[in-house]
Amino acid sequence: MPDEQDEEISKLLRLKRFEQPPPGYFDDFLQDFHRRQRAELLRQPLWRIAWDRAAAFFSEETAGHYAYGAATALVLLAATVTSVSILQPPKAEQSIAKGPERPPAKVEELKLDQRAQVARLPDLNDLTNRAAQSATVSLRPRYVMDARPVSYASGSSF
Amino acid sequence: MAEASPAPVLSEDAELVARTQAGDPAAFDQLVVKYSPRLYGLVYNMTSNHEDTNDLLQDVFAKAYRSINGFRGKSSFYTWIHSIAVNMTINFLKKRGRRFTMSLDDVDANIQNDKDFIELTSSSTTNPVREADLGELQQRLNEAMQKLSPDHRAVVTMFDIQGMPHAEISKILGVSEGTVRSRLFYAHRQLQNYLEEFRKK
Repeated sequence: MPDEQDEEISKLLRLKRFEQPPPGYFDDFLQDFHRRQRAELLRQPLWRIAWDRAAAFFSEETAGHYAYGAATALVLLAATVTSVSILQPPKAEQSIAKGPERPPAKVEELKLDQRAQVARLPDLNDLTNRAAQSATVSLRPRYVMDARPVSYASGSSF
Repeated sequence: MAEASPAPVLSEDAELVARTQAGDPAAFDQLVVKYSPRLYGLVYNMTSNHEDTNDLLQDVFAKAYRSINGFRGKSSFYTWIHSIAVNMTINFLKKRGRRFTMSLDDVDANIQNDKDFIELTSSSTTNPVREADLGELQQRLNEAMQKLSPDHRAVVTMFDIQGMPHAEISKILGVSEGTVRSRLFYAHRQLQNYLEEFRKK
């Protein structure tokens, strides 16, 4: 009879209830549990702790929590956009338009600028001639009649 | 082991869970003290190894503590913690496979006063249970259990050893009561075959 056999098997299996852990096992279990929890906390990486806490936080399925999450995501997005725009280098057109105040960024630009400046400089020979001319003019002897010639002196002055 | 204990006082559990969720770890300690003997029996009878049971039980409570804020109270804490224990043990057994050694607990001397034991040992003069050494009986029962699949072992442990009703087992395993009955039927047939030799000794 299957029912009798089932009952016999059940009776045999129920004897397994008498298998017991060592005496005092359950008294120490809680302490062991605490010790193990502390050890696990020390072993856990930081990201895992953060992840567990975030998972526990959002598992409550409260609308407020999702609002917190959305706000945090928005702030992070805004911060990212702002930092990207600050750190981005200015474009080439802008630097050209700004002109001479800004120092040229590239070596080629530096060379070009130097050449332009050299081209703008007056010719050295020309300058020398002009200087010589002006020197000639300025150094021409000036004859100042600051003394009356003898012939002009009157004989009957005494 | 007081396996077939009465149904837990749910309101007391709910209060302890609420206190734990509010950040009182001492409340969770009370739940650990309350459920560790029962969950020990569940895991031990599935693994037949004391050290594995100890490790698993620690992991079960650690997982329960980490997830307690996600516990919504849709089921009782009793069902919830048993589900964690059964699922973790089944996963462990599937990973462990056949590579294991039994590490059995001692048999409580009170077995001599047990109604089933008395009945099994006094029914006839050629009773194999009476003739067998108690240690041998324990060994054979555990060997037979280990020959079942983890899913069948879970059902047998909860129904036959711990005395849970089918409805409770179906909630814990997340399967229908029909599935529980079917698994139990199949497991009993297997156990009868495994213990046949022992029974006819």
